[in-house]
Order: sequence, then structure tokens, then C-alpha cells
Amino acid sequence: MKMIVAIIRPEKLDAVQTALDKMQVHLMTASDVRGCGTQRGYSENYRGNEGYIRLLSKVKLEIAVNENFVDATVAAIVKAAHSGNIGDGKIFVLPLEAVTRIRTGETGPVAIGP
Amino acid sequence: MHCLVPDKLSFGEKLARLGVRLRDPSWRRYAGLLAAGRVLGLGALALIIFVGPHIPDILLGGSSAVAQTTAPVDPADAVKKIDMINAVNTGWVLLGAFLVFGMQAGFTMLEAGFCRSRETVNVLVECVFDTCVCGFIHWGWGFALMFGGGNAFFGWHLPGDPSKNLIFMRDVSMLDTYGSSGIPIFAHYLFQFAFADCASTICSGAMVGRTRFIGDVIYSLGVSGLIYPIFGHWCWGPDGFLATMGSEGNFMSSLGINFHDFAGSTVVHSIGGWVAIAGAICLGPRLGRKFKRDGGGPMLPHDLTIAVIGGLILWFGWYGFNPCSTLSIMDNVGVGRVATNTTLAACMGGISACFVMLALVKKWDTAAIVNGFLAGLVGITAPCYWVSPVGACCIGLVAGVLVIAGMELLEFFRIDDPVGAWPVHGVCGIWGTLAIGLFASGEYQAAGSSPFGVPMVGYKSAEALTGVFYGGSWNILAAQAVGSVIVCTATFASAMVMFGILNVFGLLRVSKEGEILGLDIDQHGISAYPEYVISALTAPHGMGRDTVGSGHMPTAEAAMGK
Repeated sequence: MKMIVAIIRPEKLDAVQTALDKMQVHLMTASDVRGCGTQRGYSENYRGNEGYIRLLSKVKLEIAVNENFVDATVAAIVKAAHSGNIGDGKIFVLPLEAVTRIRTGETGPVAIGP
Repeated sequence: MHCLVPDKLSFGEKLARLGVRLRDPSWRRYAGLLAAGRVLGLGALALIIFVGPHIPDILLGGSSAVAQTTAPVDPADAVKKIDMINAVNTGWVLLGAFLVFGMQAGFTMLEAGFCRSRETVNVLVECVFDTCVCGFIHWGWGFALMFGGGNAFFGWHLPGDPSKNLIFMRDVSMLDTYGSSGIPIFAHYLFQFAFADCASTICSGAMVGRTRFIGDVIYSLGVSGLIYPIFGHWCWGPDGFLATMGSEGNFMSSLGINFHDFAGSTVVHSIGGWVAIAGAICLGPRLGRKFKRDGGGPMLPHDLTIAVIGGLILWFGWYGFNPCSTLSIMDNVGVGRVATNTTLAACMGGISACFVMLALVKKWDTAAIVNGFLAGLVGITAPCYWVSPVGACCIGLVAGVLVIAGMELLEFFRIDDPVGAWPVHGVCGIWGTLAIGLFASGEYQAAGSSPFGVPMVGYKSAEALTGVFYGGSWNILAAQAVGSVIVCTATFASAMVMFGILNVFGLLRVSKEGEILGLDIDQHGISAYPEYVISALTAPHGMGRDTVGSGHMPTAEAAMGK
């Protein structure tokens, strides 16, 4: 079991979700996040007061999958979230120790699926 | 609030800071550029103010030179003229001016509520800036072009007195009234400025979310300085060709009836709506906007509370828009009827749009109700004086259906109109104009209200306006159609040219990056709700404040640690 954490452009969320649906990956947690990588930030102004911020809006997806889904999921995210410009984001694949579905009490790989 | 008023500097500290800054060459260049720009701007303004009023003299051969040599007002003459100013009607018109000006708050809230939060500041600033520009321009030449006497296409002098130049209100004395209305020029100016401002704010609604602010400023100048006053003069000017249409020796004299628009379904709303759609077409849709036929739909609004309250403020302001357009409270019966008609049309518009949407999507849709009652209000604006309450209900009912149909049409043609400016103002503006020809009840004077009392005309007599449904002739409907087609076509064509030119120079649409980041940050440097996101100016100490005034920003290379 793996946990896939993907940081993507907010405007690509729709495309990524559609692509993942096609790969039979329906379950995910999404959050609004702010972060900085190699992309430049922007400046803000209020009453002549200027500040520079290097944190940009991104969407973070957390997707728990079984081993045989990992490569397909990563490939689907890369394909859908790619724009070719700096700031497209990153995908991290982490080991996942245990999963429990609260409703049924199931554990392990069977608890991940739909 | 540490972010808003960071450190209170004393005057001495400010001077010291200036000394330090002046030693920095890049800051000196910046200050020099700023000062030069300001001097240039003030110079241009002075040029407009001092040379502008002479332009008609130069063009038309010194008519206002006559006015300057006119002897001072004879006291007896002055008394006579003061008697001509009707105090109660002036108060009525000013009340209308204040109410219609209040509609700016409504427009601003409606647009801000229906847009995404990333472009809210842009909407707010656009609407307010537009008002500032329009007020100055309308005093400068908008009022003169629109309501001045002159020729069939534009005006420049006080109606009935060619020696008095209205450009920059140059020759207006305190005793001058507008025609026989008994309203002083400056009361009439304020009332009409509020109308002009509505037309120019309507346009911004369809262009939310992707227009460069400099483009906004330039097209506001175009709309309130040329498009609105010139096409408005055709309908409402003392000698505009649609206003005098049908009379002997004028445009289409065989029709025998002139074009009627009581409070501006055509003049204010059609002009605003058709400029708006031209803007939306030239801009193209917002990035990521998918249309219904492509499996998408309108982008979500960010604050429906603000949008609905904005709509209700507009409705409230409409009680100045329509009833005060009688320009006379002496016509008390007419005023009451107009106010009632206005209300009924709004109610029926909201109801019918709501049920049409219910039939389509099985939900009681917020935007449909708000745009529905606005559509009803736009529809009743032209006919409000001449129709019966039953007629007003019918007009509102149809307007509510038309507004939903208009929105579906825009979806079909893949035109992105974020707040629905064209369906509400463009489509229903035409409907309201035509509705006079159908629903005018034959009981009320075609010439509108009188400054002296309630006008009484014979039922279905030649002086009354009788629509087709009340057994009147088709000529009225024909006159309305001719006027509406001419104004809408002229507006759309000139707006397309204006936006096309702006587009060629790249002044119309923001960059792709700016649009994704949001117009607020890109054009105005701040988001609408800065405390709800991590932002530079609310960041913990040491994150944002360090860079203030130092003028350097991390580059992409620095950010990558190179």
C-alpha cells in the first residue's frame, strides 16, 4: 500500500480528477495549500505598503492506493497536471503502514478500494 | 491591524527617510518619473479645462463669444426666471438623482457577488473609478453632447439658446433651466450623470475577470464620453432624430409618431447591454470557462449574499430611475402609476424567471430570481408611464422568460458574461422598448408628464399613446422597433470598433499568468479577503515587512538558491 501525495496547480484539479476516475481511482483527499518551489511569487500592495510573497496557491491531493495502482496513478496525474511551465508541482509516493475503514472495520488493502 | 498602519512615522522621520531615499539612484529615477508623470497629467487636465470649452467656438465659428458680451442679467428678468424654476420639481429630480446614484452600490455589489473572489477587488475598483470618470466627463461634455441643442446627432448649447455653450457648463448661469421643465441645469445634470453612470457600469458586468484595468479606464471614457451621450442624444436630445422622428420634415415623417423611451430601456440599458456583449465577445471567455454544450456551465459566484442585496439595492434605486423620470412631481397621478408599474414588473419578472429555472433544473435558483426581477425592471423602464398595472405584469412576466433564454443563448454561442449583463440589460432593454407599442393603454399623454400638473388626454385620442393590444395602430410598434434597432446596431458596431482597437494594442485582456493568479493580485496588488489567505502583508514579522521600500524582490534564480 502506498500513499501518493501530489501537489498540483489549482486549475488542473478538474483534469486530474477526471483522469484518475478513468484509472478506477475514485478516492482522494484534496486540500487548498500554499507553498513555494521554484516558481516565483508575487508582490502585494496596500496603501503604498508593498510586500513580497513567495507562497502560491496549490492543491494537495492525498491518494491511498494498492501497489498495482501506483504507477498508473502517478502517470495519470503527470499527464493531466502537466503544463510544461515552472510551478506544475510534484508527486511524492510514501509507504503506507495500515488502513482501516471506519464503517466496516476492514483493514489492509481491501479497505483502500471503493 | 498592524499590517494596515505599520509604523506611524513622525514628520521628522519622514524627512530623514526622504534624505536616505534621495541618495539611492534608482529611487531618484522613480521619484523623477512619478513627478514628471504628475506634472504631465495636471498639464493635460489644465489644457482640457481651459482649451476644451473653446473647441466648439473654433469648430462652429465663435457662437459663445456672443455670450461673453451679453449684458449682466436685468433684475426684473432675473425675477421672472427664478419664477420659472420649479422648486418642488427640482427637489423631486434631485431625490431621483440621489436614488439612481445609489444604484452604483447595487451594481457594485451584484457584480462583486457574482464574480469569483480572485477578481472582486477589480470589480469594486472598476465600478468606483468608472463613477469618478463619468461624473467629470458628463459635466465636461457628456451632458452637452446628449442634452444640448445642436443638430440631429449631437448637441452642445442650451436648448433654445444657441449663445449658451454647455461644454464644461461654460455659459450656464444659475437661472438657466432645462427647457420648460423648471429644473435648473445643475439638478438636471446630476440626475442625468447618475443615468450615464449606470450605462457605463453595466458594461463592466460582462467583462469581469479578464479585463486589464487600463482597458477598463479607456472603454469607460469611450462609453461615458462618446457612445452614451451621442446615441442618447438621438433619443432624448431636444432635436435628436429619433426624438423628432415622424414629424413634418424629419426622419421617417410618414410614420407620424416619434420614438418613445420614458426612463431608458433603450438609452441606458440597451446601450449598456450591447457595449457589454461587444466587450465579452472581444475579450473571449475567462480561462477555464466551459460552456454548457461542452459539458460545463457558468463559473461559481463567490458571495450570493452580497449579490442578492446588490440586486435589491438596484430595485430600490429604480424608484428614482422610473418615477423621477417624470421630472415633475406635479404629475402626482403619473408618479404613483409609474412606481406601481415598476414594482409589479419587477415582481412578475422574478416570479417567472424563477419558475422557468425551476422547470429547467428543478431547483429554486438564486441568480435566476435576482436577474429575473432586474429583467422585469429593465423591461418596464421604457413603458412605465404609458401602461396599466396589468400591462406591467405582462411585461415583467415576459422579461423573466427572456432573461433565462438570453443566458442560454450566450451559453450556446460560447460567450462568457459572468453576471448576465446582456440578457438583463440588452435583451430586456429591447423588449421594454417594443412593449410600449404593444401595451400602451391609450389613457396617457404620449408626450409624457407635464411640469405643471396631471396631463389629461382623451382616451385613445391622437395625443394619447395606444398600443396594438389596446386597438392602437402598428405605427407605434414600428417606431419603437426602428429606434431600438438603430440604437442597438450603432452601439454594438461602435463598441466592437472600440474594443477591437484596444485589443490590437493589447490593452484589453490581462496576461494568462495574471488571470490565473487573479486580477486582484495582478492589477491591484491585494486580494479581497486578505486575512483568509496567507499573504505578504499579514505575514509574521520578517516575512513581508523586510522588503518594504527597499525595492528589491527575490528573483527566480535567488528563489532557487543559485
